[in-house]
Amino acid sequence: MSQTVCPRCTTSGAVDDYQGKEDGKVVWTIHRCPTCCFSWRDSEPASAIGLGIRSADFAVDAANLDRYPKILQQ
Amino acid sequence: MMQDLAKRSRSITSLRDFLEMLGDAGQAITWSDRVMPEPDVRNIAVAASRDANGAPAILFDNIAGYPGKRTAVGVHGSWDNIALLLGRPKGTTIRELFFEIAGRWGDAAAQISTVPEGQAPVHECRIESGINLYDVLPVYRINEYDGGFYLGKASVASRDPEDPDNFGKQNVGIYRLQLQGPDSFTLMTIPAHDMGRQILAAERTGLPLKIAVMLGNHPGLAVFAATPIGYEESEYSYASAMMGAPIRLTTSGNGIDILADSEIVIEAEMVLGERVVEGPFGEFPGSYSGVRKAPIFKVTAISHRKNPIFENIYIGRGWTEHDTLIGLHTSAPIYAQLRQNFPEVTAVNALYQHGLTGIVSVKNRMAGFAKTVALRALSTPHGVMYLKNLIMVDADVDPFDLNQVMWALSTRTRADDIIVLPNMPAVPIDPSAVVPGKGHRLIIDATSYLPPDPVGEAHLVTPPTGPDIDELSKKIRAMQLGAAQ
Repeated sequence: MSQTVCPRCTTSGAVDDYQGKEDGKVVWTIHRCPTCCFSWRDSEPASAIGLGIRSADFAVDAANLDRYPKILQQ
Repeated sequence: MMQDLAKRSRSITSLRDFLEMLGDAGQAITWSDRVMPEPDVRNIAVAASRDANGAPAILFDNIAGYPGKRTAVGVHGSWDNIALLLGRPKGTTIRELFFEIAGRWGDAAAQISTVPEGQAPVHECRIESGINLYDVLPVYRINEYDGGFYLGKASVASRDPEDPDNFGKQNVGIYRLQLQGPDSFTLMTIPAHDMGRQILAAERTGLPLKIAVMLGNHPGLAVFAATPIGYEESEYSYASAMMGAPIRLTTSGNGIDILADSEIVIEAEMVLGERVVEGPFGEFPGSYSGVRKAPIFKVTAISHRKNPIFENIYIGRGWTEHDTLIGLHTSAPIYAQLRQNFPEVTAVNALYQHGLTGIVSVKNRMAGFAKTVALRALSTPHGVMYLKNLIMVDADVDPFDLNQVMWALSTRTRADDIIVLPNMPAVPIDPSAVVPGKGHRLIIDATSYLPPDPVGEAHLVTPPTGPDIDELSKKIRAMQLGAAQ
């Protein structure tokens, strides 16, 4: 399990989905959190992806994922 | 000039054709300075959409980390671009554009032509293994706190899982798609939308739900994919009828009718019964949606043109491209549907936040008549969920001229001449709803007082109008310019 921490739900284990490259050199990486499904690019401003800097209003509660409703139930 | 524009508009078959037409009219620019995916693309798109009348489409071709890839935003981002799509000159008023669209509504027969798969530009390049959506799509975060990278302007085509051979029941709609890894995405919809019905039907019956996600499309289809038409009506047919030109279709690898000239088509199948965390997403009311669990789709193949253009949209607090993209195509069907029962309706302006506020002008036949028409508006396909605040004005008030609407509110509205309908269906992302999906409706009757109302119509001032007054206006303007020099 990777050590990359999700800036939204603060769990670790994010996976790397893609690397943007120029002339063979990596310029940024897109990570995805398998717990809360947040995706981010490591080149984004800290206001969006900085652990502890991001607005707490947009945090996802990894311990209570049941609180998020499922759409389109029969 | 006008005839040339009309001819050129009818000859459009693809996004590329339209971008060229826009470029020739000074309505498309190429942004070749290097930009970061975030926040630069968003910032530039927002700066452009400040000019709702004249903003150009912007084609980015130098985004850091995406060498050789191209992204277009703002293709439908101004009234001038919508005018050109309809073959009308820049500067055409919103009212004129409304009547242009309303006049074409259901007017012409649809012309659908079929292109063999092997000859369709969309299938020039094909990926069936080792799929990574990020290889093809130069995505970026549309709003700062979106839950991921979104496709905001994808037209999703699907067949009714229970009636897959029915062309009319084939649906094309714009739904927000959040990338959920290299070969998956979630799709957000509501039960009232056609896609919501199809998802529920597939899960009820266990039948597969296959879809084709079209990106970078014929600009005439994009407006219809967001237009509320009947479940059994084809968006392709409407787009063809409105453009007065054939729509070229081909077949996707998973058997769905798609546009032959789209830039990119993603084929996918829903994972039945599965839901994953989706959102938030900065939505059209200008606020973020909540976090919910949405259906997830697995990508099975991607087709694209050579050197494809990824088309996306900025959406958030208005005005944005979302408003110019769908505003008139939200208004026109309500107008057409109302006039089936009430030919007294003279115009409908539902430009505001996808019709959360609408203004209807009607020839008032008797006291209270406008309220009857308002209630009919609430039962149109779009009205059921979206028309929250309705302002009813007389036919002598232009609903597209807010100064006139305010005059009607000021002089023809009694505080007790409104209707509040409590606990009605509401769009779940309306931030004013009592609970998501349930809220109140407001009808304001700003029409004149007719018998048997005892007040009666006021003795109106009739200001002088006509060519003489137009001439005087021009003379005053010329004198003013002269005085400034």
